[in-house]
Amino acid sequence: MQFPLHKYGLVFRLVEESDAAFILSLRTDEGRAKHLSATDNNLQKQIDWIRNYKEREKAGIDYYVLFEDDKQQPLGVFRLYDIKDKSFTSGSWLIKPGCNEFVGLKSDLFIGFLAHEMLHLDDCFFDVRKNNKKVLRYHKRFAKLIGEDELNVYFVMDRAAYEQKSKFLTSIIQSDI
Amino acid sequence: MDIEKFIVEFADQYDEIETDGFGPDTKFKENEEWSSMTALSVIAMVDDSYSVRLTGDDVRKSSTIQEVYDIVASRINS
Repeated sequence: MQFPLHKYGLVFRLVEESDAAFILSLRTDEGRAKHLSATDNNLQKQIDWIRNYKEREKAGIDYYVLFEDDKQQPLGVFRLYDIKDKSFTSGSWLIKPGCNEFVGLKSDLFIGFLAHEMLHLDDCFFDVRKNNKKVLRYHKRFAKLIGEDELNVYFVMDRAAYEQKSKFLTSIIQSDI
Repeated sequence: MDIEKFIVEFADQYDEIETDGFGPDTKFKENEEWSSMTALSVIAMVDDSYSVRLTGDDVRKSSTIQEVYDIVASRINS
């Protein structure tokens, strides 16, 4: 796979150890990361985590992607992981405070593009914290609810749902692409 | 189309801030909850309730709820 990729006015590339401080700043931002699992505010641990991740990247089972603007300013990250057979999980989606309101939409479009068009995957299994209400409403629009527990709601999104979502999101940012 | 109903529907897209004071002149981006997910929620609400697809440009150009309402109303009537 050829990274970086330029799409929707953003640049998408794989995370490197040198991105650890940026990722840590997002993951330790109480407002931004409140719906993700907790991260120690320890730069070395983050570097070590990325070093381990790069092995999973080589194995083709985990892709941690950073997106930046045309001035190479990092804006956010997401991960595709647990890639096996034709299924995967997406998560760890974080965007720097102050970004314009359509960066999130564009990165979500790219997640689908990477998974379905580049990696030829089909089903995305993911979970959303129950108190993350807006994200829940968003995913309920396209994905199929397959379970829930005290903390999370569990979804699967197949290729048809991805195509429907992609069409919807693309129509919103048409003038940007 | 009813502006009062639209304001209630618009305010429903916010989960974390107080929206009792929302009105036509409310600058809907000037609060700590406004984000890409709030923008998408508003666009999805308009799509579901009024069958009008707002674009990124529509949202970027608007600053008050009235301005969004006017765009939606003009497309319903066109």
